[in-house]
Amino acid sequence: MATNEPSDSLPLADVLRAANDLLTAGLIEDWALGGALAAIYYVEPFTTYDADIFFIPKDKSLTAGIPAIYAHLQAQGWEVEGEHLLVRGFPVQFLAASGLTEEAVREAERIDYEGVPAKVFRAEHIVAIAASVGRTRDKARIEQLLQQADLDQSRLEGILQRHKLKLPKS
Amino acid sequence: MKAGMRQKLAREPFAEKIRKVAQLIRLAKTFPRRPRFPHGK
Repeated sequence: MATNEPSDSLPLADVLRAANDLLTAGLIEDWALGGALAAIYYVEPFTTYDADIFFIPKDKSLTAGIPAIYAHLQAQGWEVEGEHLLVRGFPVQFLAASGLTEEAVREAERIDYEGVPAKVFRAEHIVAIAASVGRTRDKARIEQLLQQADLDQSRLEGILQRHKLKLPKS
Repeated sequence: MKAGMRQKLAREPFAEKIRKVAQLIRLAKTFPRRPRFPHGK
């Protein structure tokens, strides 16, 4: 059973272990870290209050197996608060991937975080996802990635074309 | 912050950046932002 004492540090290794555990348990097909924490992999650190784990469901029904996933993680000792799972006090959201986000999971970069194998969305996919959402903060994220990340322009153009997306005008 | 400094921070190892995010969260919780106009003016 996992230790779920609140942590002073950001318990990312525990979050990644929990996602790997879902894979081992056969509840998901694949997963990757997305959202703000994935962006921070490429840009300067900024404040964020949760982690987004995108997963490719094995269960292709409407619920994408989310109830079974949350039940499994609760049985491991993690708590549920609303739509979030609390991993040592840090909120984590498990989101079923489809379309662009499914491609982002499949093509994510493999990393090792404090000895835990993980996958993180590529910068080009984070830009494309932000372009597809289009809120003010997504535009700011695009700007930040364009300035600070070493983007592969041909990969980015390919993703944007495939998903019929355009970058916002700055 | 200057662009060069931001670029330097962006190049730090991921684990180091995550430690900084945790510090930022602690600071934000210790010193929450107050609305500039508390009475909605």
